[in-house]
Amino acid sequence: MSALIWGAVLLPLLLPLLVVLQLPARGLRLVLPWLPVPALVLALSYEAPWALHLPYLLLGASWGLDDVRQLMLLAASLLWLCAGLYASAYIRAEGLRRYSALWGLTLAGNLGLILSLDLASFYTFFALMTFAGYGLVIHDRTKEALWAGKVYLVMAIVGEMAVLSGLLLASHQAGSLQLASLPEAVAGAENGLWIFALLLVGFGVKAGLPLLHFWLPLAHPVAPTPASAVLSGAMIKGGLLGWVLVLPLGLPGYTGLGQALVVLGALGSLGGAALGLLQQRPKTVLAYSSISQMGLMTLLVGSAIAAPHQASLIVPVIALYALHHGLAKGALFLAVGLKWPDSGWPRWLGWGLVMLPGLALAGLPFTSGAAAKTAMKGVLQPDQLGFGLAHLLPALMAAGAMATTLLILRYLVCLRDTITTGYNTGAILAGWGGLTFISLLLFWWLPWPQVGELASLARLGSLKDAWGLTWPLLAAGAVAWPWLRRLRSGPQPGSHTP
Amino acid sequence: MSFASALPLLTLMTSLVAALVIFMLPEQRQGLRTLLNLTAAVVKLGLVAIMVAGVFRGEDYSISYTLLPGVEFILRADALSVMFAGLSAVLWLFTTIYAVGYLEGAPNRSRFFGFFSLCVASTMGIALAGNLFTFLLFYEMLTLSTYPLVVHRGTRKAVRAGNSYLAYTLTGGVVLLLGVAWLHTLFGDLPFAATGHFQQVDPALHGTLALIFLILITGLAVKSAIFPLHGWLPTAMVAPAPVSALLHAVAVVKAGAFGIVRVVYDIYGIEFAYALGVLEPLGWLAAFTILYGSVRALSQTDLKRRLAFSTVSQVSYIVLGVTLFGPIGTIGGLVHLLHQGVMKITLFFCAGNYAETLGVHRIDELDGAGRRMPLTSIAFTLGAFGMMGAPPLAGFVTKWMLGSGALASGMLWVIPVLVASTLLNAAYFLPILYRLWFATPKGWSQERRWGRLETHSWLLWPPLLTAALTVLLGILASAPFSPLSWAELVAAREYLP
Amino acid sequence: MLALLIPGLLFTPLALAVLCLLVNFRIGRLFSWVGIIVQVLVALGLWATVADQGGLYYDLGGWAAPLGIELRVDGLAVTFVLLTAVVASAAALHAGAYLDPRKGYQSYFWPLLWFLWAGLNGVWLAGDLFNLYVGLELISLAAVGLVALGGEAPALRAALRYLYAALLGSLGYLLAVALVYGSYGTLSLSGIAELAADHPPAPLILVLAALGLALKTALFPLHFWLPAAHGIAKSPVSALLSALVVKASFYIMARLWLEMGEQAGSIWLAQGLGALGAAGVVVGSWQAFRQSRLKMVVAYSSVAQIGYLFLLFPLSWGVATTTAELAQQGITLHLISHALAKAAMFLAAGNLILAVGNPQVSALAGVSRFLPFSLFSFGLAAVSLMGLPPSGGFVAKWLLLQASLAAGQWWWIGVLLLGSLLSALYVFRIFRASFLETGSDDPFYHPPRSLEVIPMALAVMAIGLGFVANLPLTVMALPVGGGVP
Repeated sequence: MSALIWGAVLLPLLLPLLVVLQLPARGLRLVLPWLPVPALVLALSYEAPWALHLPYLLLGASWGLDDVRQLMLLAASLLWLCAGLYASAYIRAEGLRRYSALWGLTLAGNLGLILSLDLASFYTFFALMTFAGYGLVIHDRTKEALWAGKVYLVMAIVGEMAVLSGLLLASHQAGSLQLASLPEAVAGAENGLWIFALLLVGFGVKAGLPLLHFWLPLAHPVAPTPASAVLSGAMIKGGLLGWVLVLPLGLPGYTGLGQALVVLGALGSLGGAALGLLQQRPKTVLAYSSISQMGLMTLLVGSAIAAPHQASLIVPVIALYALHHGLAKGALFLAVGLKWPDSGWPRWLGWGLVMLPGLALAGLPFTSGAAAKTAMKGVLQPDQLGFGLAHLLPALMAAGAMATTLLILRYLVCLRDTITTGYNTGAILAGWGGLTFISLLLFWWLPWPQVGELASLARLGSLKDAWGLTWPLLAAGAVAWPWLRRLRSGPQPGSHTP
Repeated sequence: MSFASALPLLTLMTSLVAALVIFMLPEQRQGLRTLLNLTAAVVKLGLVAIMVAGVFRGEDYSISYTLLPGVEFILRADALSVMFAGLSAVLWLFTTIYAVGYLEGAPNRSRFFGFFSLCVASTMGIALAGNLFTFLLFYEMLTLSTYPLVVHRGTRKAVRAGNSYLAYTLTGGVVLLLGVAWLHTLFGDLPFAATGHFQQVDPALHGTLALIFLILITGLAVKSAIFPLHGWLPTAMVAPAPVSALLHAVAVVKAGAFGIVRVVYDIYGIEFAYALGVLEPLGWLAAFTILYGSVRALSQTDLKRRLAFSTVSQVSYIVLGVTLFGPIGTIGGLVHLLHQGVMKITLFFCAGNYAETLGVHRIDELDGAGRRMPLTSIAFTLGAFGMMGAPPLAGFVTKWMLGSGALASGMLWVIPVLVASTLLNAAYFLPILYRLWFATPKGWSQERRWGRLETHSWLLWPPLLTAALTVLLGILASAPFSPLSWAELVAAREYLP
Repeated sequence: MLALLIPGLLFTPLALAVLCLLVNFRIGRLFSWVGIIVQVLVALGLWATVADQGGLYYDLGGWAAPLGIELRVDGLAVTFVLLTAVVASAAALHAGAYLDPRKGYQSYFWPLLWFLWAGLNGVWLAGDLFNLYVGLELISLAAVGLVALGGEAPALRAALRYLYAALLGSLGYLLAVALVYGSYGTLSLSGIAELAADHPPAPLILVLAALGLALKTALFPLHFWLPAAHGIAKSPVSALLSALVVKASFYIMARLWLEMGEQAGSIWLAQGLGALGAAGVVVGSWQAFRQSRLKMVVAYSSVAQIGYLFLLFPLSWGVATTTAELAQQGITLHLISHALAKAAMFLAAGNLILAVGNPQVSALAGVSRFLPFSLFSFGLAAVSLMGLPPSGGFVAKWLLLQASLAAGQWWWIGVLLLGSLLSALYVFRIFRASFLETGSDDPFYHPPRSLEVIPMALAVMAIGLGFVANLPLTVMALPVGGGVP
């Protein structure tokens, strides 16, 4: 295990090293996709929580894995693997070296932060991911990319500072550097409100919390497609993981703040979708969709804080949801860079494969989304949560599903306007196809029975459940129908080039 | 005199003898001079390593000599002194290598390396001084031996910088002299001793002691460039790059900071100083300097000047750490003494490389330099991130310790200062990094080529090694004999049980 | 042993002086080398003897005090004898190479040097006021002659001015001596000290003596003659004058003060002298800063450094014994280190001027590159002069600071500290000029190594004094024992 965990963190760092050692571009392309493999193996071979103590490292580090982290690690390593495959063919020769180096660094940061049990390591990897991520965002160095990068960086640094201050205060309160000791310290602290706020805001920047989300729709469209995929699918989950690890989930005393977070989540969920509908570019639409989806996860976090007794149930669902969203959103992003067949059934098959992960996000039955939504519904029963806003949640979730459906339709429409015809290289097809495949099918074989009750929650129990999931989709489809019809007479596919 | 007690003297002598021999060497004996320099540096490193191991085992190396009735000249290796001596020994080696490469073919090398060694000898003396008097001796010697290095280029600008340097440091020295002499009149010879001397002092003297504290700190603040006594530092930038590196990382500013550490901990004693109420104002001043230096750095267009103002800001971290009452703050301050040295020397080495290889002095000329000089630029990037306090680099460890120390001593206001400083650091370092890596090269008119490598190999290795050290000091912060572990050792001895 | 040593100190210089009068420059130089060896050996021997056995009174020729000449051979005196031997030897060796043997009148250097040397030894050792006077006159006349050796009209003018000042000073001192003799009937210092304890001398005596000697010591504002004389003289001569000659009159003044000051002095006199000294420090330094010629800088620096010596008076009057002791130690060390440093500085300055061929400070550009050795001697001497560690000057300053603090006379602290800074001001002006780069070719004449080594040796001694200061201080503190026939 310890060899694997070292491999998981260090192997990605091999790539920057190879860049420095002047490995030719061909070699870089060969190495780039396989960096997350140890992490994937680590996630798949997980059985029970364990920790590795590294007393000499940083301020005395410990790394390890537990239930939540396993799912996060799984999502991240799968996504990075497929996106890596995609990137190895997608990135042009010019700038490949820089891109590879930053890719490795960002990946190391992303995986490392999932594996960290102590806050120094966590913060280290978090910062590594943030700073290296900047390079990925501005890779194309267009004016727009630079502006997006600037916004990203400024917000990220401010966020980092909030995180650092929060962690300092919390660890001082806890008298320990272990992440696991922080929630109680925050809950018990005299200035707990401050710490709470700092951590919320700090991680919120990364997680795209409403009003802290500005960088997200700017950065996603300008980054190279595989980078957008990991940004949206894996990196923003770093903020979510931060919340889950350090905020007082399951501890009493912050009902008010928890509810505020629920409201913020709802706002993000619906507002993000609403803004997304107004966008023109597919990646921007997806970015808003990410804000919207992160809103749902924020809502879950808020519920776990507002209803402490339910937290132990909610937290695994957050991880599950993150896994589902990461894979599906990754697949959607990767689809943006595809070349399309001229016509005929391959083209229709393509549309089908692109559409499915999107509908999964909206909760189409027999998809990962269905599992996630069902699980979510299961833990967000108003009568069990017991806080004031709880009874609004089912309606909200239905609205959310509708909004997501609309957003996905919008995405497809925008995508249709931008596609170009041509042939895809094998690696790009493998990356996109693999991720779609994993998101749609492999999801069901992923090793998550350990997550206790989650398994039962996630599988569709009855037809009623299926209906509960399906009607918002249909409703959304009905709403969008006239609009879609008008579009049929619009510009032909392929007439627009990006 | 046994070998053990002679160790501090021998350590001092290595560079002193090297200095004298180098002065005697004719200008053209370059090979011999280099050999001599490097041998002395390595020997010194070895001697310091022996002392470090010995001090860790609890041994005490000390040698003293009566200079005047009642005035002792003491060289002594305690935990704190070997910490600073270790820093000087390591960085001297790197800087020597760098300087040999940097000055290849330049005139006045005999003079340069002579004073260079003298400068390091003074720094060693400061590190190993066993009482205030001895400290003062070497402190002044440092002023003198650095002057020829600052004016080395002999241009009018360099000479003006030398003037300003002298005006500040000599005045500071005189003020310090007053403080030391006054203390001596009141209490006689005061050897540095953990927990200080004044626990049992007559309360009637407290006022006087506070005044003397003010005088001593004023004298020391000049070298450590605390606002408003920092003016000489940015002007001294005209010195050759290895000199700036040494000035900012090991020798001058650190001597001041180290002096403050000594006065607070080993003369007054942290507990007494705290009780006297002199720490908090010093802390405020340090905090102000931290922000002031950073704000000024923002508007500098010259790379070395920006780095200089960054030093103004960073050295005050050390002072801030010293004023935080509590072991964690102490650790933070002491660790930064070392970490800042390693990081800042990296940055100055790199700045020197850009100047030597591309002829670049201004920041806006750095566009695309990362592609032309990737290794140097990686080193610079690591140094800059370290300065910002980004993990897992050395600067993060310091910042974390300072933050924790501030909380432990209840000085909550330090946190916003640290945060603001980090933001400012990011604001003046990140644009440089952006230019290095992402901007399109515009070409350099004075570019020079050195074969296969991006620059002269003697210029390339030192920054790479110190950059690696920056990473290692952060990643392996808790390993035995790391600065952090050592600072914990020191801090454990400075507080009353 | 002693019977050999002391006459050796006084009579060999006189004999050599006469001998050298008769021969030309080169032969005089040869004689002088022998004389130097003798003097150094004798001085060392005497110093070692006193360090070993303590001080004593010595009756020259075996006649006791009232009739014969009584010498007071104490630690302080022998230390100064040794200092004289060192500095005068250095100056003489330097002069041997520096002066131009073809100019006939320069052969007078040797006799004048030996007269001066004899006079100095006489003053250090004299135990009575009259012999002090004789020594002082001998010194003054020899010194005036040496200044005149410069040869040109300005040198003669300066020498003449010096002569008037010296004569006037001697007159004042002689009057004081006469008054003392009138009131006590003895001229022996120890005798006067005994009598003065019961019958304090008239203040007029002290004022007259002080005025006369202050004029000779060039205390501000009576310093007008010094810069011209020291600046214009040949470098080895300047070295002798600044290092030793002005110290002789101060030495007499200090001796008188320590014997009689307690009774005859007043706080006004003590503080007044101190204040003039302080003014000398400030004005002299400032003037030194303003000079454009190198040697004038060094000469005005002497005015400043002499000023410190006068802090002896306030710091030893009406204070605790330990404080007065500190002050005496500090002043003594200052005197010694200034003698060494200033001699080194003048000699080094002479070398630099020789090399550059131009007496201006601004002509020194490039010197640091091509003449590092001479500049380095100058620099080391300057370190001591500025009172920066590690050097004799620093130790002296430290002791004076201690004394001022202990005496509670904080105003002198300001003078001491300000003086350091002011001296840095003029010293670094010279370095500044010499560090400027001119170009890559070497336009300078390179003086022979022997000329360069001498100032370096002196400068190293000035620095080294900082490490061995305890030694002279211990010897000085030895008690003065009984007489030896």
